[in-house]
Amino acid sequence: MIQIKGLTYFYPGQERPALQDIDLQIPSGQFCGVVGPNGAGKSTFCYALTGFVPHFFRGALQGEVKLGQISIADANLGKLAGEVGLVFQNPFNQISGARFTVREEIAFGLENLGLPRKIIERRVDETIDLIGLGELAERSPFALSGGQQQRVAIASVLAMQPKLLVLDEPTSQLDPQSTQDVFRILDKLAGRVGTTVVLVEQKLEWLAAFADRVIVLSHGHVSLDGQPQKILSDEKMEKFGIGQTQYSLAAAAAKKKKLVPKSRDFPITLKQAIEFFK
Amino acid sequence: MKLNFRRVSFTYPSSVRALDGIDLNIGSGEFVAIVGENGAGKTTLVKMLVGLLHPDEGSVNVGDWDISEHTTAELARRVGFLFQNPDDQLFERSVTREVAFGPYNLGFPKRKVNTNTLNALKDVGLAEKAEINPYDLEPFERKLLALAATLAQDTPVLVLDEPSIGQDEHGRRRIGRILQDLHKKGRTILLISHDLDFCAQYVERVTVIADGHVLEDGSAETVFAKSELLQKAALIPPQLVRLAQALKMPSTPLTIPGFVRAFGKQRIGSK
Amino acid sequence: MRGSTLFVPGQTVIHHLHPFTKLVITFLCLVLAGTLPSLPWLLTCFVVLLLPLAAIGRILRPFLLRSFAVIAPFVTSLSVIQGFFTPGQTPLFHLGSFIFTFEGWLAGLTVAARILLALGGALLLMLSTRPDRLMLALTERGMPGSLAYVVLTAIQIFPRFQERAQVIQEAQQARGLEIHVNIFRRLGLLVPLMGPLVLSSIMDTEERAMALEARAFSRPGRKTSLLLLEDSVWQRIARWTIMVAALGLIVLSFWLKFAR
Repeated sequence: MIQIKGLTYFYPGQERPALQDIDLQIPSGQFCGVVGPNGAGKSTFCYALTGFVPHFFRGALQGEVKLGQISIADANLGKLAGEVGLVFQNPFNQISGARFTVREEIAFGLENLGLPRKIIERRVDETIDLIGLGELAERSPFALSGGQQQRVAIASVLAMQPKLLVLDEPTSQLDPQSTQDVFRILDKLAGRVGTTVVLVEQKLEWLAAFADRVIVLSHGHVSLDGQPQKILSDEKMEKFGIGQTQYSLAAAAAKKKKLVPKSRDFPITLKQAIEFFK
Repeated sequence: MKLNFRRVSFTYPSSVRALDGIDLNIGSGEFVAIVGENGAGKTTLVKMLVGLLHPDEGSVNVGDWDISEHTTAELARRVGFLFQNPDDQLFERSVTREVAFGPYNLGFPKRKVNTNTLNALKDVGLAEKAEINPYDLEPFERKLLALAATLAQDTPVLVLDEPSIGQDEHGRRRIGRILQDLHKKGRTILLISHDLDFCAQYVERVTVIADGHVLEDGSAETVFAKSELLQKAALIPPQLVRLAQALKMPSTPLTIPGFVRAFGKQRIGSK
Repeated sequence: MRGSTLFVPGQTVIHHLHPFTKLVITFLCLVLAGTLPSLPWLLTCFVVLLLPLAAIGRILRPFLLRSFAVIAPFVTSLSVIQGFFTPGQTPLFHLGSFIFTFEGWLAGLTVAARILLALGGALLLMLSTRPDRLMLALTERGMPGSLAYVVLTAIQIFPRFQERAQVIQEAQQARGLEIHVNIFRRLGLLVPLMGPLVLSSIMDTEERAMALEARAFSRPGRKTSLLLLEDSVWQRIARWTIMVAALGLIVLSFWLKFAR
């Protein structure tokens, strides 16, 4: 369970806060999507959940972020690593460089956690199965495509079994096939007990299919917060500089032209859109 | 300016056969999306337009120039190339100097360098950040900066490799508008993109590359409608196309207004 | 995409030896290279000690290829230098007023053979040992983990820099930068070619550091290892014996030198 109270954060030397007065609660196991225009503070939000803010970036943090009983601001960044996981946009930068095969790369984090060898072996095998990296397990991480590397990065963090997994636009640099692979993995994860997932994404269509909840960040504030159905079809999204799925836009245009009864709910996925336009 | 690829084949030193006898002709002023899986050969193909790669067999022409007779720097007068990673190009002290780098290299007179730079910065919305160091910009801004640098070269042909990656809706619309304006001015535009929703809104023609071959080449409406083909090339058809097909619409709408019109017609037809 | 390691994968006895055992053999070769008195001794050691080990490790071909690739320039230059400039009695040929002697040539070849033996030991180690196993052996004995990390990432990431430099060059050429210029203008190319590489590497470093943190790299406490290095009593005994022998050789050669 994540508790955020009055979170405000200034990067060092900045006058404007990157995050302002954020109050949120995220229950365990929730798949929470975060959307917002560039510069809204989405990445900073990810850092605040995982301790990089304030420990890595310094700066001034006000308010409180708690993961269960742990206060992120008070915790040691190294110790937090087993509890929270962060996946970035750039697959290449997440390959440690210290290991020569995918299997060992995934084990790297577990070795740092000081786990016994038997447990490391078991978790690595389980993670490889979960993510579907069996064929790539003995290859060098540097010989993989961007999409494959990103899956290795996710596997490497997931193997550490964090209670909270935060992903900052993980599919941004990936092609559609790899994007689909990543979302399938996250979907599998969402079904698992215990792992809370916070996913920052621009690809709304995908988010619509998987998220339990969507938070809209804008200028460092939480502007909207609720069920994907409501949020992603909300026309206010335009005002916040976030698009909508083509389905919603088409639906809105059709409603305007009175081609469809006004009462129908806006669709955010293909399935819903088919129903809407029947 | 027209572009011609005649029976172009290319194999990398590592023995990967990237292109296999490709014939592709792009007319002056066309706006074409080049799509396909990673590794299909798209980037290999377009790199030839600036002479960074030369075909093992066949020939490539940019207008009346055969690329084998010109250096990359010369071809840069005719083809503006936006690379996928802006950090591969940025090194100057300020945004302005960065954008001016291309025009300066091409030997434009000082006034033209300044005008082009200013206009390019205005177009991408970075005019206010003119004196900031490029590496102090956010990643998505650096991407726009690289686009400005390409625009400032004022070339008749533009090749853009995944310009919309990492952009929010605002950024995507801005880039889309820029491309539309360039299209209206008669520039030849090649857009490499995975984002078919983005392509669908702007391009006229789509070329699908798979395994070093041209899998399909035709108008956007025709090609985007071919779902199975696109899936074979590891692509996902645009949302509107998928919806239209699910609703068994006869046409392939690519834009919202187009979809609504088609839907209206279908409604009337079924009454 | 190959890494820049010399390592040739394999499952032989040599591959499975503990890295320290191989390190000790390398040290022995170094000592032998320095202390053996003459060319026949040096060459015999190379053939009798290193070649069989390379053969057992099924790396004989790469071993020979690389040994000769490394030693060829030395043989040539040392032969020429020593052949002409080291005093000797048996002239072989003249070049102008310079006399090339047999003894001089022999002296040159001897130095080359010393290099061959010393490098041969190191080559055997590097061809049969994956760098991370060597680093693991060292960290188990107390070397700081961060040093091991630096070495390994340098090996794996450096080739990427080279690839990246090529990409940057292409990108700048596409902006009209003329690469094929005379030597004086080349200096001006340094900034647009190296600039993006250095600057973006600095930026990437920050993200890499974060990714490392996310893998608990800076967590206080003991680290464990997935890899298990095989060792045995026999290897330990062998290592101590060889070390003693090597040190004994050093002492012996000093004593012989000063006893003259």
